Amino acid sequence: MSAAGSSNPEFVVARVRARRGQLYGDEEYRKLVRMTPAEIARFMEESSYETEVNALGSRHGGVDLIEYALNANLAKQFEGILDWSEGSLYDLIARYLRKFDAWNVKTVIRGVYTGASQEAIEVDLIRAGEFDDRRIRRLLEADSIEAVVEALEDTIYGEPLRAAYAEFEESDVLVPLENAVDRAFYERLLENLPGGEPIRQYEAFLKAEVDFRNATNALRLARSGAEIDPAEYFIEGGELFTRDTLARLARNVDELVEYIAESQYADELGPALRELEEVDSLIAFEHATDAALLAYGDRLGTIHPVSVTPVISYILAKERETENIRAIARGKEAGLSADEIESELVIT
Amino acid sequence: MLEATNELGNAVLSTGGTLTDPSAAAALAVGLAALGAGYAERGIGSAAVGAMAEDDDLFVNGLILTVLPETIVILALVVVFIV
Repeated sequence: MSAAGSSNPEFVVARVRARRGQLYGDEEYRKLVRMTPAEIARFMEESSYETEVNALGSRHGGVDLIEYALNANLAKQFEGILDWSEGSLYDLIARYLRKFDAWNVKTVIRGVYTGASQEAIEVDLIRAGEFDDRRIRRLLEADSIEAVVEALEDTIYGEPLRAAYAEFEESDVLVPLENAVDRAFYERLLENLPGGEPIRQYEAFLKAEVDFRNATNALRLARSGAEIDPAEYFIEGGELFTRDTLARLARNVDELVEYIAESQYADELGPALRELEEVDSLIAFEHATDAALLAYGDRLGTIHPVSVTPVISYILAKERETENIRAIARGKEAGLSADEIESELVIT
Repeated sequence: MLEATNELGNAVLSTGGTLTDPSAAAALAVGLAALGAGYAERGIGSAAVGAMAEDDDLFVNGLILTVLPETIVILALVVVFIV
């Protein structure tokens, strides 16, 4: 609703906990990996995705239907949470959900850059962030990247985008613009957090997310051996890396793995790091960071029952569910076996 | 203002004092207990309404849990009969 007045964690947490009970568990996933895309859509229609599948069923089919229904449901659920929460609770949740604004901005920029049609861009947006329909409409109507930058003038992305636009004009690559959006989001994420023990936990979680993002980026850079300055991809706010250590470590995979294995995340990421050394696959590491965040989120949700943390825990679990179902549907479409798909899922 | 309160306090003390009067103290106890119950019900009530919004079947459970702190007031009422 708004950031004014006192917050109402009791109400939001009760609703979120009820919703959490409706998320798919092990049982459902086991059934889903054995279904065809059409069956998955039917299964979703019989659970909490009913409205979305029905609304989109006439226009799309197969995996597209699943994908759009997932996005629409995610957006509806998160918009709902923002609608219910008031006061400082709203501020804390909006901080995290702004990542969908960042996602939308990036999608629009990429769409405009590749000359995609307005409808094609629109279906890929996830309207879960803080942007209202009017701003999204203006973004969609923009026919050049400059117009997108202009439409975002009065948001937190305005200033960084304007600065990055000059660079974009020179080089004609999207990287500076996308980095500007990401950085604007992450800078606001950890800025001026209020005090209190639950908030400290929340902050620790956000920092872990930034750390994992940095670690994954660094590992990717180190393995690809590309001549890109790692410092350009560095995100401020984490505890694990500083700009300099990241720049130094990203040149050598072994050193980087060593560094992460000795950090405070050793317990969570240890097995995945060993696997990374053995089979040389980044996927396991990325899944391990996701699972570690999810497990951390679960723990957060029970330590301080009446605070922002159970809400964040739900948001994470919901996102994970969306990604799992999408992985199943896409895997089925590509003809993977049930076992292969199961290894792609992150279930705690 | 402060002096006025002081004078009031002196006056109250010299005439026997309100709070040393047992029934007044009992009344205060009941009032404070009711205040505490109200504060407790605020949180439980909003959580109950949240749960009900998701699932109508929780109405009875929500109602029971919401009025549970009311027992504090009833226990406090015992004091009234003792004094």
